[in-house]
Amino acid sequence: MSRLWAIAANTFREAVRDRVLYSILFFGVGVIILSLALSEVTIGDQDKVVRSIAQGAIDVFASIIAMFLGVSLVWKELEHRTIYTVISKPIPRWMFVLGKYLGLMLTLAVEVLIMLVVYVALMFTQQGPPAPVVFVSYGLLMAQLALLTAWATLFSSYSAPMTASAFTLALFVIGHLADDIWVYGSQADSPAVQAIARTLYWVLPNFEILNIRPWAVHHRDVPWERIGPALAYGASYTAAVLAAAAAVFSRRDIK
Amino acid sequence: MSEGPVIVSRGLHKTYRTGFWMRPHVGLHPLDLSVAAGSIFGFVGPNGAGKTTTIKILVGIHEASGGAATVLGLDHRDPEARRKVGFMPERPYFYPHLTGAELLDFYGRLFEVPEPTRSQRARALLERVDMARAADQPLRSYSKGMLQRVGICQALINDPQLVILDEPMSGLDPLGRALVRDLILEEKAAGRSVFFSSHILHDVETLSDRVAILVGGRLRSEGTVEALLGAGSKGVELELRLPANTAPASWAARLGAELRRAEGDRALLVVPPDRAEAAVALSQAQGATLLRLTPLRASLEELLMSEIQAAGRGSATAPPAVAP
Repeated sequence: MSRLWAIAANTFREAVRDRVLYSILFFGVGVIILSLALSEVTIGDQDKVVRSIAQGAIDVFASIIAMFLGVSLVWKELEHRTIYTVISKPIPRWMFVLGKYLGLMLTLAVEVLIMLVVYVALMFTQQGPPAPVVFVSYGLLMAQLALLTAWATLFSSYSAPMTASAFTLALFVIGHLADDIWVYGSQADSPAVQAIARTLYWVLPNFEILNIRPWAVHHRDVPWERIGPALAYGASYTAAVLAAAAAVFSRRDIK
Repeated sequence: MSEGPVIVSRGLHKTYRTGFWMRPHVGLHPLDLSVAAGSIFGFVGPNGAGKTTTIKILVGIHEASGGAATVLGLDHRDPEARRKVGFMPERPYFYPHLTGAELLDFYGRLFEVPEPTRSQRARALLERVDMARAADQPLRSYSKGMLQRVGICQALINDPQLVILDEPMSGLDPLGRALVRDLILEEKAAGRSVFFSSHILHDVETLSDRVAILVGGRLRSEGTVEALLGAGSKGVELELRLPANTAPASWAARLGAELRRAEGDRALLVVPPDRAEAAVALSQAQGATLLRLTPLRASLEELLMSEIQAAGRGSATAPPAVAP
């Protein structure tokens, strides 16, 4: 475990010493604060608009950081040949992949926490304490990021960042439209199209299962019957993708 | 310490697939090799000979296409085989965001070296390679030579039984080279084994107990330095003090030797190997004083050149010359 933690901690340290990360975080925090100004030019429930924009900003910027760091997670080690002195130690390949992944997840957790602290501070000054559901929604956001990062890690374990970015971005978009695939697929006349749509629905990640932001924005409680299965789905899917990433990387011949 | 050989390779080979059509390219032909515990083993050959490929297979970076190998008695593919192995790659690349001390701490953790041993060892190693002053500087500010030195430290952080160094002298100034040479000898004196590749043949020749020459992915020769280079095979160098009023040239003719240099009453002669004993006896019988006798041998460079030429002449598939 200490070896796994050493790799994770090194990945975290590398990420937090990267200036690009701070730029993205700066924009994220900027949008959260700017949501106050944007609410002034909107009609309707201004409090909800602030919550919607600010919470949306956390989701989007956390996802950008996950994709940005995830797609180069393993590739960077190969490209910079830093992997030579790690793999030549008593480190199984799966441990290397998992350690890198955990380090990135730790980075994302800290990033989300920073944005959440800014959001909570904003809420305290403007609208009073946020509802508990807001914190639950960030637990589920971490589950979304865990799944997205697992896919990015899988792509990164065998392809260059450009390709990995394209695949991860496509999955990110499709994963938020998974329910639409099901709905439009089941309305199709052709049984073949229906079968394809159903297969895609079950194979591709469904990030919407893990998204309870609408409830958090409206401060409405979410039943545990909704949260429990969602977390189980996220955990099992993430574990499967990580296992695939470890298997792919274990077979890879390092140049 | 391991009693048997620290590295055994039996038919280990590697074929790369390159280009769009994935054409096969043989990087290493089946290699049989054994490295004895407590010895220094030099691995030489021109660029592309397969030295780095062999090393990368042994430390788990490359996957062999076939054959078998053990490192410290374990299958080379088992990560546990590397627990007591120190490795420094050619042109080491390290995490630029870390300082020298952080880097060694990281690698120490990968070997599960407990504290305070880890930090004590890191500090001692940095001092040993004269890098203590740069311990807290980020690696991105290090010169090539400094990276090479910290690379050697990371290879020794686990107190290894076997040290594998790929071109350890590359990029080092004469001082750095001397330091690495001393470190290699210190490792041997401590009972550890060192397997290293180098283009600096003089270092390989003077440091190694055994040497293997690889050309075009094939093992061409392997054996002790003495056996490979043949002590005395190029004759014997005699330094004589001659009796007064004698011409060095006439002495050379008398002994059947070649006169290399004459200065005052001293002469430096080279005698063919088969005439060495007779020349010594004759010179002493005729009143000369023997000041020095040095058996001459081929250099490793000459041997390597002849192996490269032999490989170019088409005897690439000939079995390797294995000396005792």
